[in-house]
Amino acid sequence: MLTPLNIAVIVKLEPDFSEGNVSYNPDGTLNRAETKNILGPHSALAASAAFYSKVRYGAHVSIGTMGPPNADLILQSAQQISDADETYLFSDRIFAGADTLGTAELLKAGIQKMQGKMDLVFSGHRASDGETGQVGPQTAWKLGFTFLGNVIDYEVDVEKRTVRAKRSIRLQGFHDIIEEVEAPLPVFIAIDPSYKSVFNTASQRLACEKYKKEANDRAQNFKQYLKVLNAEQLGADPKLIGLAGSPTIVFKVEKIPKGKAGRQAEVVDGSSKEEMGRVVARLRQALSTMVIK
Amino acid sequence: MEKYDVVIVGGGSSGLAALKQLSNRGKQAILLESGGKVGSKSVSGGILYSKKPKKANVHNVEDVYENFLTDAPVERKITKYILHSTSKDKVFSMDLTSAHEYEANFGYSVLMNKLNKWFADQANESAQKYGGGIIPGVHVRDIKWDGDKTIIYTDELEEIQASAVIASDGVNSEIANITGARKKFSPSELYQGVKVVVKLPEDIINERFGVSSQDGAAHLFAGDVTLNHIGGGFVYTNKNTLSVGGVYHLDSLLENPVEPYEMINALLKNPMISEFVKDQVPVKKEIDKNLSKEEQIRIRFATTKLIKSWQETRDAVLSSSGRDRLIKSGKYASEDEIRTQLSSLQTQMADKYGVTLETDYVEVEYSAKLIPDGKRGRMKNPFIKNVLFTGDAAGRGIFIGPKIEGLNVGIDDAVRAANTIADALEKNNLSHDNLGKSYSNSLEESHYTKDMKEIDKDYLKIFLDTAKDIPRDILSSKYGMVIKLMSNDTLRNFSVGFANILGYEKLLPLVESEETYVKVPMELADRLGEKITSSYTMSIPSIATRIGKLNFSDDEMSHIKVIKPASDFMKKMVTLCPTRCYSIENDKVMIQHEGCIECGTCYEETDWKHTRGEKGITYQYG
Repeated sequence: MLTPLNIAVIVKLEPDFSEGNVSYNPDGTLNRAETKNILGPHSALAASAAFYSKVRYGAHVSIGTMGPPNADLILQSAQQISDADETYLFSDRIFAGADTLGTAELLKAGIQKMQGKMDLVFSGHRASDGETGQVGPQTAWKLGFTFLGNVIDYEVDVEKRTVRAKRSIRLQGFHDIIEEVEAPLPVFIAIDPSYKSVFNTASQRLACEKYKKEANDRAQNFKQYLKVLNAEQLGADPKLIGLAGSPTIVFKVEKIPKGKAGRQAEVVDGSSKEEMGRVVARLRQALSTMVIK
Repeated sequence: MEKYDVVIVGGGSSGLAALKQLSNRGKQAILLESGGKVGSKSVSGGILYSKKPKKANVHNVEDVYENFLTDAPVERKITKYILHSTSKDKVFSMDLTSAHEYEANFGYSVLMNKLNKWFADQANESAQKYGGGIIPGVHVRDIKWDGDKTIIYTDELEEIQASAVIASDGVNSEIANITGARKKFSPSELYQGVKVVVKLPEDIINERFGVSSQDGAAHLFAGDVTLNHIGGGFVYTNKNTLSVGGVYHLDSLLENPVEPYEMINALLKNPMISEFVKDQVPVKKEIDKNLSKEEQIRIRFATTKLIKSWQETRDAVLSSSGRDRLIKSGKYASEDEIRTQLSSLQTQMADKYGVTLETDYVEVEYSAKLIPDGKRGRMKNPFIKNVLFTGDAAGRGIFIGPKIEGLNVGIDDAVRAANTIADALEKNNLSHDNLGKSYSNSLEESHYTKDMKEIDKDYLKIFLDTAKDIPRDILSSKYGMVIKLMSNDTLRNFSVGFANILGYEKLLPLVESEETYVKVPMELADRLGEKITSSYTMSIPSIATRIGKLNFSDDEMSHIKVIKPASDFMKKMVTLCPTRCYSIENDKVMIQHEGCIECGTCYEETDWKHTRGEKGITYQYG
């Protein structure tokens, strides 16, 4: 009997930047009260990468996030995607003000508190609010795991306890170079934004359907799977987490001046024939000036 | 290569019943469906029947799904069945409820998307117990035999091996085509069905059709509503929608092409149907163009939002379950409170944004499908090697005057195919010969096969009885005489017996003609009918609006290739395609596959494939 894979995913609560949901203050900063929070898009990809292991290898999946008490809702979303067996919310007032290093320290402590010894840890490529992309590598370093970034595809050899991964890298100006690497477990994987799980045999698809259903059922009762841990329960060193553990000093925030728009948007009434006629005329004119070489 | 006992192609009501029945028998089966979700490509009229024939047996839906009667999301139990003959604004009605109830346990109106999802949940759960289940988003493109191996090729997955295959891939069965099991259906073997789903609050339906919340009515139409084509129209009551549609003989449409878009409009414009579908519809005021662009956008959004909440409140207050739900949720204390809120929203709409309520109707979905006429086109040997065809794929639809059945036939076929394979697995005799013969024999025992082959004299009697009060002298002499002769028991029994020996198919051109479908009904309406006037002018959506409401996942590759771009048939497709996918340029027909609703009207002279997995149309109602 092979030892089943043990997987952790770290996810992040982020403002929903999609149109209609995001709101800004007059000074250009984010209006956090008015903007809905969601599971970050990169985090969602990390959760789907964990789901891939669930389907392929029947992995045991735990998901953790650091955030305020209401961040349990994103754990629900992540559980819906990954069919996680357990979810963890690391929540404490003293975690506030953490930079990426302080966050990584806390996540390391969190991952170590999760059930079982981890074989694989997944994170998103970066956060869509901070755009830092450092928490993943730093957590990997703190855990002492091999770090693989920009992973677009992976396979685990459960017997040999190795992972083979494809990484999308840029090299000296060349895009889309795919590097294939193999590493012994445990491994920390940051999922590339272009990652997509592919299930191409009937049995994988059957398992996929089965786990999707299980994920739905679990997510409906997500509180049953949720554990909330504070600083003390995590046993993290208070000097290394939160504001105290964050050497970053924000010196000044400058608003990037709004560039002059090159194009002028115009609202057209789609139900009016004349206005649509005008659009067609403009398109025609634009096309006629194009020179096809 | 992975191997499964049975692979079922197509997740319509027939394929799903096959999966459920195989699981009921403890057998392993997987079902491959090209739609992203099961039910997303299914369209039906539709009424689902359960039958209790005296002389032969059938397998009913409630025999396959043990909890069907208690849990299935059906719409309404049809308790009224009325045939209307039309001529302009005159309508003559005959109550056919007794014919509808003949040998029937029930007939439920259904919306296929919802119902197939339920079927899928039941079937999937059972199938998983035996290592099988449903795999959506997979398009089967080929089946090949290599020695004793049967290999299934798909666009999405690695090859799959199967001991037996059930092909339930619908009227435009690719499996039938690829394997050479049958020729493509010819237009004389097909009907084109077009349907719109109209939204109407539950209470209004109950009152307008004189039914309770659980019960429903089916109204059929013949006469000039078909624009002189062989076929008919229907209005079926669902819970809070109506299905309004028409079914027309494809031969008749090819002879005198009229756009499906116009065909359905002709039905809607019939004053009786106009009155059936009418409702209160909010109409927005033109926004003042002198206002700033930002203000115009704000008003547009605010108006839309307010109308939406008025609509939701109204839908809830006019339905028994909606009222209960709102009161239970604690949002409102009583029905009166909801009504007060509704009128306050109405006042706000009028005062703030000048929204007025006008009489019109609300269409939510436009759909089309081909329907095989089992009398003419059913496969005599619905199998090839170890592939068994069921339902529409085998051409097994029943069209006998007002008797239109398909779902129940597909389910019965599926059970027979599943039982044949389950028996063979148990006896360890999966020889192609054994499978084909056993399935064919089983189908021959089905009441539905008899229905497609013979005239049932008892049914004919009931049908004639409903017409007995019509003065004979007013019917076109030929048909008047036939009805008179047929009303005599001895004479009828004799002539039906004789006709069945002679071959029922030979009589079809006489029974199914413009005379019987159009002229006689028009004569009845003209001379006996009641004049009905519509109280409003309906605004019928443009074809673009209708297509715009549908959900598509466009594929860059076209699933249809025109083989004969200059043929007469293809030129007629420019008119007969329900979503205007065809155009003509330099005397050659070209296809624009985006917006195709996969009905298959153009199937005969095209290289027609189902869309790849998760691509193409996804219906919301079906």
